[in-house]
Amino acid sequence: MKEKLIQKSRKFTRRDFIRTSSAVGAAALLSGTGRLFAAGSDKIRVGLIGCGGRGRYDTTNCLNSAQNVELVAMGDIFKERLEDCRTTLEKKLPDKIKVTDDMCFTGWDAYKKVLACDDVDMVILTEPPYFRPEHLRAALEAGKHVFMEKPVAVDPVGVRSVIESSKLADKKNLTIVAGTQSRRMAHLVESMKRIHNGDIGEIVAGQCVRIGGGMLTWRESTRVRQPGWSDTEWQLRRWLFLTWLSGDFIVEQHIHNLDVVNWALDAHPVQCFGLGGRQVRTGPEYGNIYDHFTVEYEYPNGARIEYMGSQIDGCSGRSDERIVGTKGSAYIDSGNFTIEGQKPFKYDGPSPSPVIKQHADQIAAIRQGKYLNEGKRIAESTMICIMGRMSAYTGRALKWDWAMNASKLDLSPAKHEFGDLPMRPVAIPGKTQLI
Amino acid sequence: MGLIMKVKANIERRELSRRDFIKTSAAVSLAALGPGTSGIFAAGSDKIRIGLIGCGSRGTDAAINCLEAAEGVELVAMADLFQDKLDSSLDKIKKKFPDKVKVTSETSFLGFDAYKKVIAQDLNIVLLTTPPGFRPAQFKAAVEGGRHVFMEKPGAVDPVGVRSLLASSEQAEKKGLSIVAGTQQRRQHQYQEVMKRVFDGQIGKIVGGQAYWHWGSSKWHWEQRKPDWSDMEWQIRCWPYFTWLSGDHIVEQHLHNMDIINWAIGTHPVQCLGVGGRQARTDPEFGNIYDHFAVEYEYPGGIRVLSMCSQIEGSTSQVAERVVGTKGVTYTTRALGYIEGQKPYKYQGETISGFVKEHADLIQSIREGKPINESRQVAESTMTLIIGRMSAYTGRALKWDWAMNASKLDLTPPKYEFGDLPVRPVAIPGNTKLI
Repeated sequence: MKEKLIQKSRKFTRRDFIRTSSAVGAAALLSGTGRLFAAGSDKIRVGLIGCGGRGRYDTTNCLNSAQNVELVAMGDIFKERLEDCRTTLEKKLPDKIKVTDDMCFTGWDAYKKVLACDDVDMVILTEPPYFRPEHLRAALEAGKHVFMEKPVAVDPVGVRSVIESSKLADKKNLTIVAGTQSRRMAHLVESMKRIHNGDIGEIVAGQCVRIGGGMLTWRESTRVRQPGWSDTEWQLRRWLFLTWLSGDFIVEQHIHNLDVVNWALDAHPVQCFGLGGRQVRTGPEYGNIYDHFTVEYEYPNGARIEYMGSQIDGCSGRSDERIVGTKGSAYIDSGNFTIEGQKPFKYDGPSPSPVIKQHADQIAAIRQGKYLNEGKRIAESTMICIMGRMSAYTGRALKWDWAMNASKLDLSPAKHEFGDLPMRPVAIPGKTQLI
Repeated sequence: MGLIMKVKANIERRELSRRDFIKTSAAVSLAALGPGTSGIFAAGSDKIRIGLIGCGSRGTDAAINCLEAAEGVELVAMADLFQDKLDSSLDKIKKKFPDKVKVTSETSFLGFDAYKKVIAQDLNIVLLTTPPGFRPAQFKAAVEGGRHVFMEKPGAVDPVGVRSLLASSEQAEKKGLSIVAGTQQRRQHQYQEVMKRVFDGQIGKIVGGQAYWHWGSSKWHWEQRKPDWSDMEWQIRCWPYFTWLSGDHIVEQHLHNMDIINWAIGTHPVQCLGVGGRQARTDPEFGNIYDHFAVEYEYPGGIRVLSMCSQIEGSTSQVAERVVGTKGVTYTTRALGYIEGQKPYKYQGETISGFVKEHADLIQSIREGKPINESRQVAESTMTLIIGRMSAYTGRALKWDWAMNASKLDLTPPKYEFGDLPVRPVAIPGNTKLI
């Protein structure tokens, strides 16, 4: 799988180089967008905020996605994570990593220091999702283009912040790309064209199912709490399993699948009702997230779409979406797209790597001064997952408008510092309050 | 039976008795001329003699419903495991119908084999209203004894039980016995009217659906364990909370909703994938059942239906079915039925509970010598929910054919006697084996 990606990325880079080269001239002629790279150079200098595995992965893809892109600054809360990441990247991409010691920042405000670097044109935000709204706003205020991983918030307060920031990006002509790579998968782009073209008729139903493993060995070295770790440090190191940091797996991981549903419907749901629980992954080392969810989403035309997801070892695995219309149905998974019905279709075209393309698109947009802002879209996809989780946690059906406008749920801890931070209890439907 | 349902059942009784009296009178002479089916009333009389097996609240109400459903019906024998249940049931029925209760101390039976003694009495119909785990064996005995049967749903709790039901069902067919199942929604006018239109193609081709029993409540037939109760007594008195007795609430309660989906589609599902857990009602005093389930069912032709059910105090409640077609959508509950789409429809007549009508139909079929046999239908609906539970308990997707033909799951306890009976552990998906 990895090898394939690498091959794909190589192909892409070659092709892209040509396109990019011809585009540069055009971009240079355009009137100033918010932040263009240093005059006389088409170099794009990247700052990485959040030096975990995903940060490393996105940086690699970003630097490989076009010529003349360099990493110049790095930030993380933890020093050793930053150093690990820096060493790995330097080994992998020796020519593209131009990070000096004084451009490495650690601690809670590391992101501010990266953003304060004038040399940085664009940042990659790959810290745990909880931090995204705050970091995004700061990045845009500092005039940086942003590539950010999904999800982009863990609660409605965060979603509203991202939507506001997204408007700010528009004002400042800054680009935002979100790491929902499905949106750039060729077979999905093709499928959505057909769905939006009415090939399956009006959408009346659908299913979105993702059943995966329990992630029990994720960051195995942090599973047992080290003596010196404060509550906060332990939670940050185990962030995937804490709702305030990850949003729970329905938000953190299954946003990919629900984003595809939103895309197909070209809308966000109006209401939802969810169920869920923690039936298998119950040890305290797995924080306070659930291990399964089911949410029924109702869309504006009355179509009800079912989402079912779990992270439980030993179950029948699945990850697919099915969109049912009055004239046919579409089946979608990470590699396939088929329509059955009045206009049958099967995608068998090429599948270039979407994870490279998302960066290539952004860099091209920056260079050409083109509009590219996925902020609101990813905020909405994040919200559908958040509202599903809120419904399952509380046992209450709830409406999009209420969640978007009235919910006061804000999972932020009292302060951002290492120290005591009792873990919030696991949600109990019927008891956990809808806030 | 809820208060509203009770009121409606009363209206229904009055209506039916009037209507039925006339029909019955006319039918009697015909029946008397008809060829003798087995288990028909004593020669020279049109009296219908019934026996009640299972004197809980549903059994008591079922007996009352049956006595009210037609003229000339008498309760002649009763069976239960517990004296107190039998006594209070007898009291209640006697109060209502002092003249129709002919039960004596000689025809009241207690114990695990009490049902056999009732079946051995001179009677026409037995009402099987014991916990579902007992149903297959009691149904078999009733059919072998040549009795017509009213049986509550569900008909079994495991595939072994379902296979037994089906075998007995064939026997009943051969013997010309009438079997009516307590899926009373099938007798509610709004369901019948909506289904008539579904079968008439008014919602087009069925492409999806949803079934819900979100109860918003969690202590149904729950009793605090008394110190002198053995394990067995406790489990039987708190039967809804033990999978071997109730099948879990997905089978015991939510069957009603999926029965409607099976009815609409005209068959049973071919495969399913479920999730579920025990998130709010976790105390051991609530046995070993789950408090929520969600199952994706696939029917022939690729129709997928979402089933969701929960018994969680304080959660949003919804009990309904929705069938999605290419030209419209049905929505049905115990109080209403409508269709939205190209041919909108709304049922506006009176709503009956179906609780009396099911007995009226049974008695009429016997008197007219035109057997009706709903046992296959209820066996299939029972199996529909059993496979959903099995999938959720184990985390495995599974096929109808496998469950029907190959599954060896048999939840019956090692022996039927009051004594020790350790509670089976709560199911853990990925760990609990698919048997």
